[in-house]
Amino acid sequence: MVLVVNAEYDDSPHEDPGHPERPDRAGAARHGVADLHLGSDLIVTEPRAATRAELSRVHAGGYLDELGAFCYAGGGDLDPDTYATFDSWSIATQAAGGGLAVIDELRRRDEGVGFVVTRPPGHHALSDRAMGFCLLNNVAVAAAALRNQGERVLIVDWDVHHGNGTQAIFWDDPHVLYVSTHQWPLYPGSGSASEVGGRHAIDSVVNVPLPPGATGDVVRRAIDEVAAPVVEAFDPTWVLVSAGFDAHRADPIAELQLTSSDFAVVARSVASFAKRPGRLALFLEGGYDLDALRSSVHATLGALLGEVNLDELSHGGPGVEQIARTQSARRSALDMLRATKDEDDFL
Amino acid sequence: MNSLAMIAVGYDGSPDSKAALRWGLSLARDVDARVTVVHATGLLEHLDATTPRDTTPRDVTDIAQECQFDESRLEWFVDNGDACSVLLRVGDAPRSADLVVVGSRGQGKRAGLLLGSTSLELAQHSSTPVVIVPSSERSSANGAAPRD
Repeated sequence: MVLVVNAEYDDSPHEDPGHPERPDRAGAARHGVADLHLGSDLIVTEPRAATRAELSRVHAGGYLDELGAFCYAGGGDLDPDTYATFDSWSIATQAAGGGLAVIDELRRRDEGVGFVVTRPPGHHALSDRAMGFCLLNNVAVAAAALRNQGERVLIVDWDVHHGNGTQAIFWDDPHVLYVSTHQWPLYPGSGSASEVGGRHAIDSVVNVPLPPGATGDVVRRAIDEVAAPVVEAFDPTWVLVSAGFDAHRADPIAELQLTSSDFAVVARSVASFAKRPGRLALFLEGGYDLDALRSSVHATLGALLGEVNLDELSHGGPGVEQIARTQSARRSALDMLRATKDEDDFL
Repeated sequence: MNSLAMIAVGYDGSPDSKAALRWGLSLARDVDARVTVVHATGLLEHLDATTPRDTTPRDVTDIAQECQFDESRLEWFVDNGDACSVLLRVGDAPRSADLVVVGSRGQGKRAGLLLGSTSLELAQHSSTPVVIVPSSERSSANGAAPRD
């Protein structure tokens, strides 16, 4: 099976000295790919930037104008977490375009797995606001392009933080299903189990918040027991993954306890949601320990390409009880939303 | 019934947020309201384990004393998220703020930019009334600050 990866672009000018979202991250992820030694089974797409029309499917025109102008005026801090430099606009559009290029190549081949090395990451970016290190929502731009072509898109987000931007962008869109496992409470504070989608897209959001210390077995159960039935009913034609690796136990930014092999096992479950070859693509989100990022990318992509080389799997951490609580909270929220919708429709 | 039972004030330690806190505490003292001082914990702050989050910062209690505000009616509340989202949430139950007070710009902002402005985002999206206290430099120049 081939791995389709976006072309490397010079993301080094998007840097704020001392900031954890740094150029070395992309290098670590690409080293994780290189460690697979794929030879001719590694396909690298042509470089491309996302066009304004492609970005406008998910971002407000005014925001794009302001962000571009902000960067070309020299950049600075957009909020206490998020920076931009003179080159960030160009780099961010390359990141978003990389996802589109990978998807086009997968569609053309009808085989393989895609991996998009994106800096800056994207899943916190809202339609009209940068936040959480994110400027443009890369996975949302790709999902919107697919949705525009009539596809039904599942986005699985296993980054340790809830992808508030992605959820908000597709909140009321019945053609996109958003599934997230994340530590809670933690930034950005959204992602409760009772968030289940908008009035026109009931059950299009599945959130499984997990306590600090949760291990890989809990994440696997969240995917297999909470998400899988919803995914089956949704019947996606494409599967995109917001693949953050900051839930790794070595990562400094949060307190989940996954190992690199845990990501591989979770990835296999997620891959089973893609019913056709060449309909699965992973987008890099977080992951701030470079060694953990490299080994996690290697293990995850290796597992998706058929390599069986699992080391330690984590288990026994807190959060098992959260699975049942999540199911219960989701049922209540869905019942309430459906009742409200029925009442509104009747009136 | 007091229509201003609870006033939330966004606080990040910046000069503008201190100006907002002074304004909010002065108003709360005059209308006998409680005050929740709200601090949003961002991604980078979570990385810094040395940042105290549970206890009310000394700067906040000093300003409360300066404004002659009863500290027993002051709550320090820390929540995860960007400042705008956190301040939007305090308008909802269980805190149900009746008014949100913020400075015109917080940390890390460039003067005059609309992009990334928590105060403007908040004003645009909040269903709770929002007061944006002018920057300390501007208010001292034109006398716009409330008088105690």
